[in-house]
Amino acid sequence: MNITRKFLSALAAGALVLGAFGLMGCEDSKESATVKVGLLHSLTGPMAISEKSVRDAEVLAIEQINKAGGVLGKQIVFVEEDGASEPSTFATKAEKLIDIEKVVTVFGCWTSSSRKAVKPIFEEYKSLLWYPVQYEGMEMSPNIVYTGAAPNQQIVPAIEYLISKGYKKLFLLGSDYVFPRTANMIINAQAKAAGIAVVGEEYADMDQTDFAAIIAKIEAAKPDVIVNTLNGTGNVSFFKQMSEKNYSSKEYMTMSFSIAEEEVATIGPAILKGHMVSWNYYQTTSTPENEAFVAAYKAKFGEKRVTSDPAEAAYDAVYLWAEAVKVAKSFEVEAILTALKSGAISFKAPEGVVTVDGKSQHLSKPVRVGVVTDDGLIKEVFATAGPVVPDPYLTTYDWAVKAGLQPLN
Amino acid sequence: MKALKLFERHGSNVTFGIIVFILAMMPVLLMLGVVSGGSTILFLGKCISFAIVAIGIDLIWGYTGILSLGHGLYFALGGYAMAMYLKMQATGGQITDFMHIGGLTELPFAWKIFTLSPGSLLFVVIAPAVVAWIVGYFIFKNRVKGVYFSIISQALTWAACSLFIAMSPYTNGNVGITEIKSIFGSIKGSANQGNMFLLFYAALLTLVAIYALSKFLVERKFGRVLIAIRDGENRTYFSGYPVSRYKTFIYVLSAAFAGIAGAIFVNFNGCITPSQMTITYSIGMVIWVAIGGRGTIIGAVIGAFFINICEYNLSSGSTVEVWQYIIGVLFCVTILFFKGGIVGLVQDKAPKFIAKIRAGKVKA
Repeated sequence: MNITRKFLSALAAGALVLGAFGLMGCEDSKESATVKVGLLHSLTGPMAISEKSVRDAEVLAIEQINKAGGVLGKQIVFVEEDGASEPSTFATKAEKLIDIEKVVTVFGCWTSSSRKAVKPIFEEYKSLLWYPVQYEGMEMSPNIVYTGAAPNQQIVPAIEYLISKGYKKLFLLGSDYVFPRTANMIINAQAKAAGIAVVGEEYADMDQTDFAAIIAKIEAAKPDVIVNTLNGTGNVSFFKQMSEKNYSSKEYMTMSFSIAEEEVATIGPAILKGHMVSWNYYQTTSTPENEAFVAAYKAKFGEKRVTSDPAEAAYDAVYLWAEAVKVAKSFEVEAILTALKSGAISFKAPEGVVTVDGKSQHLSKPVRVGVVTDDGLIKEVFATAGPVVPDPYLTTYDWAVKAGLQPLN
Repeated sequence: MKALKLFERHGSNVTFGIIVFILAMMPVLLMLGVVSGGSTILFLGKCISFAIVAIGIDLIWGYTGILSLGHGLYFALGGYAMAMYLKMQATGGQITDFMHIGGLTELPFAWKIFTLSPGSLLFVVIAPAVVAWIVGYFIFKNRVKGVYFSIISQALTWAACSLFIAMSPYTNGNVGITEIKSIFGSIKGSANQGNMFLLFYAALLTLVAIYALSKFLVERKFGRVLIAIRDGENRTYFSGYPVSRYKTFIYVLSAAFAGIAGAIFVNFNGCITPSQMTITYSIGMVIWVAIGGRGTIIGAVIGAFFINICEYNLSSGSTVEVWQYIIGVLFCVTILFFKGGIVGLVQDKAPKFIAKIRAGKVKA
């Protein structure tokens, strides 16, 4: 009996492993009428709630382009992979998209850690990633196009705005990861140059829910504005606990860099009313393109859904890629990169005209400071005169150069 | 018939042989164009590292009854040690950009060690082993066991993970150490296929060595003492065996395996982040063993490959949003109905089936 058992275990286990390999069979059904792109976002795990809106905007853009006749006469089909909120999974999946699915380009990522994990893969395979989220800058990969804001298109103008409004004491609060740390390094240098004080700098764990200690520090430091780079669930806990102490925007004004319409809906407009945020785009941005975008987004995904800056940047990314393909007359990455280098690839986006800067592969885009209103939307209170040229390394700012913010070569 | 008998006597070894053979054939199949894409090989390389850490977990859980829910810690320690070594070799001992952003002007001591020589690679094993020895020595000496040990292992991993995130000037926080070239140089793309095959076969050899060592240990008296500890710790203790020393030894060994696995993982993955150190990740490793069948060694290998290949294939395309439910149902069914996992299922259910067939044959 025992012998049979052992034999069978061997047989079945072998069959299982073989079967599993069978699953990996190749799918080589290439129709010439279509072109395949990849979408790589977290659809499970803690980041799923944020990345879903970005993924939806990309799907919307692809459908619209297809309806209008596709690109170079080809319909776009997309292959989706789940990054599962885990950088290593992003790396594995990026490789799968490029190497096995043979997609011509990938739209994806949200967190800096996922972008950093896939960056060398896109570089080594000479493929192209469209990254749709504002980030900390200090990066310029030849194989990534950054359609979100660089620091000088979100952080720097927001601080300039605060200074112009007479705020003199900043308190820096952020989640403990690369974006808040780099943002605060920039803000510290900027504040020093402008002669205003940073009265405190605190970091919370990514999933921290108890902000009592930090609120006590804020009360002791008496800032006149809190510069908030908390991300995700931290924002919910922080603002709820502030409101439990009856602190509204009158007592402690905040300027947030990671709160868009989606987050306002989660935290509640009653709590966030009057607080400031800085982005390139709001659902309320008044352009004809935005009206069409918001209407199409709601029609496809539901009336209750809101558009946000990252979703809009993702939408732009797909259109900019299509535009670059048209100019290059090719789906080849080399040809697209050459087209991008010309600096002539632009798109009449919901936020206004955006242009790919040939040198840095970031976008020239307008910057807007907004205030959260009662209805959960964000009202623009300040906007730059025109598009701001991206400067991921802040080389055009004297104070940044003096502070040695440039990374190592 | 002879072949059958060999099969019957050494079932798990033969299965392992088949798995290794299939893996070894993969690069050949790639060259012949049967398998598409070199990234399949890279993915299987990661699976090899998962199989190694799973073997380590099977040794302590399946054989000794110590349920560690924090092996991600040792996996990541090995991974970070390897990553730091490879990074220092690539940059020639220069400080990295995240240290610069973190305000450091000089290479921290912990990193300096890795600039010295390939000898520093030993930290891949030393770091997890030392941590495991300190943890194991005190815990097992004080006869902490069962769920209390599991909770402590979780807490330690969580603390270590927070520490790695908080010390961002030294570890680059959440982003971790990225852009790492493998120990044999770049492995991506067709130009570097040679390096990739070299790395793949090196990993496969390591897996074979670790499997052989584990089999060697568990099939001896040593292995029986481990099982005795699992099934009746007090009896073993009163029979005069130094239970805590056995436990500490096997725990340290399994941590060392995890460290080696982490180091292999980094070579294939190109980056290491604190998410490899999280409790979720650690529990995932335990689940591979549970699905494969614990207390069999081969079960750990099968489980690690099976679950990871399933995840790899299910988490895309049409199942992209529901794949976690599918895997979840698989786990629940296994835990509820097939306690022995895949291997146990085959061992328990199939003999009756075979007996029926044989009976039929006899009649015919």
